[in-house]
Amino acid sequence: MSKNILEVKKLSKTYGDKEVVKGISFEVKYGEVFGILGPNGAGKTTTLEMIETLRPIDGGEAILDGINVSEDPESVKRIIGVQPQMPSFQDKQKLTEIIEMFAATYGERTNPMQLLEDVQLVDKANSYAENLSGGQKQRLSIAAALVHNPKVFFMDEPTTGLDPQARRNLWDLVQKIQAKGMTVIMTTHYMEEAELLCDRVAIMDKGKIIALDTPKQLIKNLLKGGFKKTQDVQQANLEDVFIDLTGKALRD
Amino acid sequence: MHKYIWLIIVFVIIFLLRVTMRMRLKNKSKSTKTYKPLKAWQKKIFTVLVFSKLSTKRFFRDRLALFFGILFPLIFLFVFGGIFGKSGDTVSFNVGLLNNSTSKYASEFISQSKASKIFKIDPTITTLSAAEAKMNRNQLDATVVLPANFGITQKGSLYPSGKVIVYYTNNNSQAGQALISILQTEFHSINSTFVKTPTPFSATGQELNQKSLSEFDYTFSGLLGFSIVGLGIFGPVNVFPELKKQGILRRLHTTPIRVWQYFLSTMISQAIIGLISISVMFITAIALFHLKVVGNYFEIILFLILSIVMILGVGLAIGGWAKNERQAAPLANIVVFPMLFLSGTFFPRYAMPLWLQHVTNYFPLTPVIDGVRLLATEGLNLNQIGSQLGLIAIWTVVIYIIAFRVFKWE
Repeated sequence: MSKNILEVKKLSKTYGDKEVVKGISFEVKYGEVFGILGPNGAGKTTTLEMIETLRPIDGGEAILDGINVSEDPESVKRIIGVQPQMPSFQDKQKLTEIIEMFAATYGERTNPMQLLEDVQLVDKANSYAENLSGGQKQRLSIAAALVHNPKVFFMDEPTTGLDPQARRNLWDLVQKIQAKGMTVIMTTHYMEEAELLCDRVAIMDKGKIIALDTPKQLIKNLLKGGFKKTQDVQQANLEDVFIDLTGKALRD
Repeated sequence: MHKYIWLIIVFVIIFLLRVTMRMRLKNKSKSTKTYKPLKAWQKKIFTVLVFSKLSTKRFFRDRLALFFGILFPLIFLFVFGGIFGKSGDTVSFNVGLLNNSTSKYASEFISQSKASKIFKIDPTITTLSAAEAKMNRNQLDATVVLPANFGITQKGSLYPSGKVIVYYTNNNSQAGQALISILQTEFHSINSTFVKTPTPFSATGQELNQKSLSEFDYTFSGLLGFSIVGLGIFGPVNVFPELKKQGILRRLHTTPIRVWQYFLSTMISQAIIGLISISVMFITAIALFHLKVVGNYFEIILFLILSIVMILGVGLAIGGWAKNERQAAPLANIVVFPMLFLSGTFFPRYAMPLWLQHVTNYFPLTPVIDGVRLLATEGLNLNQIGSQLGLIAIWTVVIYIIAFRVFKWE
């Protein structure tokens, strides 16, 4: 077996006569955090959704852990966990029940409290999902996606709309998930997030991958080309000030 | 004894729900990791059972759903039960009564009419023109006028005489004619006290069957149909587009759950909810509206489950197909309203023209309503309502083929 958990070859997707993903190829290694960056409409989400079996693959192929996604989507579903962009849950459903329900989709029983503890939601265990804050919903969604110990964990813009505390907390979670040996494939708009979390990133624009490397190497390449920041490099930024003043503790 | 069977059923269902919940709790506390590994097919059924349990729980936590699922049909039961339940078998007429005579026969006639059950006298009528106005608006069936010479003994006669006049409008001619013949009969017996005449031919009536269908029996089975439609069709039609909008179904689609598992779990929880709702209706109807259930409860329940599953399929098809509420609501109305009005939900089908009855015979809701009535109030057995069961079976197959074909996760 190769050392790649995901191999994408000439993947493409067309809506009507608009090609939104134009034959992209990349690999993701076992156990790494792989980031897909890009402006809105670059095709990041569509790419993820094709690999997640949510959308049919129009051209090319994706091989996940040796399984061809378009040939055997059912087997793919058993080894992936998915965190949607805007997680939402049915009303009048307790957190423990949501975990129980997602475990049941894999035909498994689970201990909801253990999973909720991992995402610091134990004290909310018996509340209804509609009473959670945005960050709490993200964390619940992560717990729900991990009920079956997936091999690959997909996160679509997990920190969009979160406050700095909640975002930092989520970064810790991602690092914990990686430490457990899971491969994480995520999209994001936030460069500092990608720099901190991702072992390698692919930058997409207009349906194509225009760069793919480790964040460090990408920066090095840019500097080699003679790039210079116009501003002086500051030792701290406003976010550092914010965190210093308000602390890292979760607020929701 | 029969009266309490529904109560017992409700308690048993609630008890079972509690027991299963307790079992889950015990499982949790005992150990966390050592579950017996399930076989592949057991896992699939386990998925279905957990989903059924959770969606049933959700229903009982949602006040709006409870209102529309359980209270709403009950309100209809009270409204329709009030209209048809109490009228009983006596015919009565709303009449205006105008007395222009001062004779003692006239005042006797008035007081007897007031005591009679056949006449409901409108006390506000004092002039013929006021009576006419009310008759034109159909608020009065007819007006009886006693002329000034009513009950006066004419010169050269041995006994008093008089002629009442019954006024009616053309929209009330049937009631007017009926009223005239009733008055004729009454005067006939009065006449015989003055003039003895032999009556060679006569007719008397005798009530025959002890158990016949009342209007309410039809209404009740219709309302059960209404309740099944409300839960089975409007439930999914309202919920599915919302689930799609929020991406909840889409998220489920990234897990191995299959459409049949999702449908089956919905069926199970709808059957539980539907049976509870219907039990409440049965208890109310038996206790307050004197519904006589002569059928076998086990067979009624079995038949209701089949009906609920079939009707739910319509909701699953519409809700599963629609991308949003804008698609779901109009289609649901187009499908549901003809079904409600033509399948005998509110108005008995026997009152419709024959050709319409032939057409509506094949509507999916018709065998449900007819079947419930035949089983519950006419006391037939399942094997005697083969045509209804057959029709339900055919519709179930057709509806679910469509529902599976058109279902979309987003």
